[in-house]
Amino acid sequence: MKQGIMLLIILCLLALSGYALAESEIESRIRALEETLKKQEETIKSQQIMINELKEQIKKDEVAIIPENKEQPTETKKETKATGLFGGSALSNPNISLVLNTYAYSSNLTTDELKNRGIFGYTTEGISRRNGFNLDAAELAFFAPVDPYFNLYATIPVTEDGAEVEEAYFVTTSLPEGHQIKAGKFKSGFGRLNSQHSHVWDFVDNPLPYRAFISSDDSGIDEKGLQYTYLAPLPFYTILGVEILQGENKTLFGSDAAGGAHAYTAFAKASLDVSDNATILFGPSVITGKTKTDTVAANTDFTGDTTLYGLELTYKWKPTKYHGFKLQSEYLYRTQCGNLTDLNPGGTVQRLDRNQDGLYIQGVYLWNRWEFGARYDALGLFKDDYILAGVKQDQGRRPWRMTGMADYTFSEFSLLRLQYNHDESDVTGKPNDELFLQFIFTIGAHPAHQF
Amino acid sequence: MKKILITFLIMFTFSTPAFAKINIVATLPWIGSLASDIGKDKVAVKVLVKPSQDPHQIEAKPSMILAAKNADILIYNGLDLEIGYLPLLIESSRNTKIQPGQVGNLDCSQFINVIEKHEAVDRSMGDVHPLGNPHYHLSAQNILGVVRGITQALCSLDPEQASFYKTNLATFEAKLKEKRKQWARVSLKGKRFIAYHRFFEYLAQEFGFQIVGYVEEKPGIPPSAGYIEKLVETMRRSKPDGIITTTYYGKEEIDSLSQKTGVKSIVIPHDVGSALDINDWFSLMDTVLKSLQ
Repeated sequence: MKQGIMLLIILCLLALSGYALAESEIESRIRALEETLKKQEETIKSQQIMINELKEQIKKDEVAIIPENKEQPTETKKETKATGLFGGSALSNPNISLVLNTYAYSSNLTTDELKNRGIFGYTTEGISRRNGFNLDAAELAFFAPVDPYFNLYATIPVTEDGAEVEEAYFVTTSLPEGHQIKAGKFKSGFGRLNSQHSHVWDFVDNPLPYRAFISSDDSGIDEKGLQYTYLAPLPFYTILGVEILQGENKTLFGSDAAGGAHAYTAFAKASLDVSDNATILFGPSVITGKTKTDTVAANTDFTGDTTLYGLELTYKWKPTKYHGFKLQSEYLYRTQCGNLTDLNPGGTVQRLDRNQDGLYIQGVYLWNRWEFGARYDALGLFKDDYILAGVKQDQGRRPWRMTGMADYTFSEFSLLRLQYNHDESDVTGKPNDELFLQFIFTIGAHPAHQF
Repeated sequence: MKKILITFLIMFTFSTPAFAKINIVATLPWIGSLASDIGKDKVAVKVLVKPSQDPHQIEAKPSMILAAKNADILIYNGLDLEIGYLPLLIESSRNTKIQPGQVGNLDCSQFINVIEKHEAVDRSMGDVHPLGNPHYHLSAQNILGVVRGITQALCSLDPEQASFYKTNLATFEAKLKEKRKQWARVSLKGKRFIAYHRFFEYLAQEFGFQIVGYVEEKPGIPPSAGYIEKLVETMRRSKPDGIITTTYYGKEEIDSLSQKTGVKSIVIPHDVGSALDINDWFSLMDTVLKSLQ
């Protein structure tokens, strides 16, 4: 019996010890697991701390100097982003804009009287405006760089008579310093108003000297040819230019004056900033060529040579966007000599010498979105010689005109203008009182703010 | 006569001496100021737009054409801000170095993250900038990108002085780091302002304030009376923390709004040089932030 109990106790002990053994094994495993967990937790914690530190570091170090290799991405970025300089447009499209220039017109003269209203001794060309509504043009303009060497411009005014190419030319962009060539059909660099489009003028129409010597309408010297300009390396802005032109301008040369290119121009323009807000631009111009025209006097033909000299002066003061003043003046002097053929039956051929001048002076005051302007223009101011066969002719009254103008700019792209002219350019003394209400609108590519 | 000719010839030949400074033409004052900070005495900086002028409405004056002609590098804001005069200026300058695509033609907007890009715009929405908001210089993050870009360009134009430019950049960045710590203490978070023009969007983003309305009915278009009336009403209800504008326009408008609503009007100097004590970009930011508080 004792033996049996002993065995049982031994067995029990064995079992207990076995259990104890098993128990301790499990415990140690659990402990190990716990430790591993703790370690992992610590690792995570330390990692979190590191992450936080890094975050802080990044925040702080946004300002730090970037290492060399990081500069690379900025460069690739550079190529993919549009510069915005030429409107950021797709390459397939040039920049396109449309300018609508339209006006209502009223004169004390009839449309027929206007058509026949030349300036005696200067031109027989009349005024092509009509009482009522007029459409000057819807002017399409295209421009874009051609390649790294050329920029291309085309201006195509669409009128009721159809579309015409007013300007289509290229300009070089990669000639050596200071040199530039323009060729195609373009507005000559002669004078101030002449080289501008009529829709950027301060007044609806061109002044009398322009009408008498350059063109009866607003087209100006707009010719096929080649222009070379040089921006001189001087401490102030000086541009020198020469042109060879076909010479087809109706008023100046007549449309078939010679068999080839026969007109030459030369001009210089200099500019100084007289103060932070004020700038002057001035310079002389000259254009010369052969002339064959029927606009000297009624029923005549004229063949000869013409030279037109010009002096321009522009002063602009603009302290702020909404306040400023512009003063602009041009003096033109024309010499012409040749033969005047009387087309009447039994008419004769006589030598004609014309030395005549003209001047306009205009001022425009800018106040908020309003502009107020005044202009005076006159012909035969200092010189008015019309010498037929050696005999100086009586020219009668001196032609002159006064203009008042007010315009309102809704935005950079739209303008409404009211203008009144009192014109005393007629030899009989009959005045022409004109009233204009003009609208100019621009859509499409942003226009350039030329000086 | 001969003497005059010879003098002219000498002038022409020596107009670009070999050890000349790098000629930098910058469109806006803050760009010129950054370029000076990096280039110091190794560069000559000419700024085209005066701090008193509206950067949207600049004419290509002949003197600007002359400056562009003599430039080794033209640095500009981009995003169409200079669209009215810069293309014309670049062409008229007859300067091959600053033509698009050259190292000497540097558009700073390429170094920043542009906001407010518009997919479809037309001008009935006012003078919007389709490429994004171009007034990005009141932001430390943007300036950091720009100043690095300028340094990079100067280094490639003038590799001999590269280490000089890089040292100046490091100095600039160290100062910027310091300043950012200071500016971090400026609390503008949650403030709400009415602005005259979309001029402060990047600043608002960086400093956590809000622009809740504009005095301009549409960008670049002065407000109508009806619009102002509505604005006054909303302002009376919502009580914003201030009406802000830049020094070059909008002052009269925001003053009259302030009188009607009791909300204070704040004129913020918009560029380096627009107030006497603002002689670089840092002092510009200091003043801007101070005036917003």
